[in-house]
Amino acid sequence: MAGHKPRAGGGFLSPALQYQEWITVVVRVALAAILGYAGYAKFSEAQGLQKVAVSSYEILPKGVVTPVAFGLPVLEMALAAMILLGFATRVMAVCVGLLFVVFIAGIISAWARGLSIDCGCFGGGGAVGKGQTHYLREILRDLGFLVLAAWLMVFPRGRLALDRVLGLYAV
Amino acid sequence: MSKAARQRSARERLAEERRHQAQKQQRARMLMISLSALVIVALAVVITVYFANKKDPNAYTGAFAPASRQSDEAVLMGKPGAKAPKLELFEDFQCPICHEFEKSSGNTIKRLAAEGKVNVLYYPFWLFKQQPDPVRGNSQRAANAALCAPADKWVQYHDLIYKNQPAEGSDGFSNKDLIGWAKSLGFDNPAFEKCVNGSQKQGQLDQMTNYAEQTRKVTGTPTVYLDGQSLDLSGTLLNPANLEKAILAAQPMDLSPSTSPSTSPSTSPSVSASPSGTAKK
Repeated sequence: MAGHKPRAGGGFLSPALQYQEWITVVVRVALAAILGYAGYAKFSEAQGLQKVAVSSYEILPKGVVTPVAFGLPVLEMALAAMILLGFATRVMAVCVGLLFVVFIAGIISAWARGLSIDCGCFGGGGAVGKGQTHYLREILRDLGFLVLAAWLMVFPRGRLALDRVLGLYAV
Repeated sequence: MSKAARQRSARERLAEERRHQAQKQQRARMLMISLSALVIVALAVVITVYFANKKDPNAYTGAFAPASRQSDEAVLMGKPGAKAPKLELFEDFQCPICHEFEKSSGNTIKRLAAEGKVNVLYYPFWLFKQQPDPVRGNSQRAANAALCAPADKWVQYHDLIYKNQPAEGSDGFSNKDLIGWAKSLGFDNPAFEKCVNGSQKQGQLDQMTNYAEQTRKVTGTPTVYLDGQSLDLSGTLLNPANLEKAILAAQPMDLSPSTSPSTSPSTSPSVSASPSGTAKK
């Protein structure tokens, strides 16, 4: 970490801020890895299976299942790329956070209705036998991811980010 | 006010103005960056969905191989006299994964059958008889109608039934619709209508279900046996390229449509568990 100059109009960066900027980088890499992997795992799967994973929640009407099944993996991968690059970090983090909220709500809904499904979070999905569900674990895991996204919403400003190159933090 | 003071306040105003300007620029830049990021993400998704929806590399438009009804009510689709691997499909018309399987691999199966590279046996049965209505009744009516349908239009009828599969938990496959689809395929007649409306094939349906569940140990659908070997769902059944490979690599069997069909299966399947994720009973 090279010492750095006070920027125009910005005054000195406190050590705490420097520290935070690097934590944000770590969080970005972690969140991008999780999201990117989740998206890729779904994306590389047989298309029929993707649709089954979505329809097994029995939430979306039939006509919407296919676009969601095909679009969601790409959405996850695109958001992962943006987060990794640090491009519009705060807005992208909000999108990711919303996505996780939707996922968690979906799992809770499936649980509450007594469905026996796999969340299909990292590919797979669809019906599983009674007693083979892991809803609580899936929800806690997604809550953990939500915390990462929340960090980025609060502290989007980080090193090695496109936002910085584009001059988002000049003031 | 002294001259110096006036100058200072003017400088301050100017600085204030500049700061204000810079902030405004910053906000505009932020907005631009955010918007372009959102647009990029949205475009990526929309483009993928568009192309994923369009592409159907396995579309098969050729003629179907001739179909005939076996003595156990299964429908055999295959080139007459073809010595080819035997593919047995155990399906419930109300099963969503069967529908997915038909959509992703149905074309490949039909093409291979027409080329004489596989003999396909369809076993429509009533997997969902212990489910609550409407699933139970939907499943029953569709299977009954399929058993009423003549063999030469059977595969087309089977496709049409799947195409109109009601969403899980909603009513569908009404006898009226089932007769309507027969009409559109040109094989509707009073006998067929009576067969559908009177559930005249219930006995055969029970037999078929019994055969699937007791004899062949089918516990979920789709269960597909290739030369008696159960195929896995995600790797093979929903992946037409792998399915084709598996079929082409399988042992041809003598199963000419003209010879009398075997009423008892010669071999019990070595793998009889249902594919994972489909245990749905």
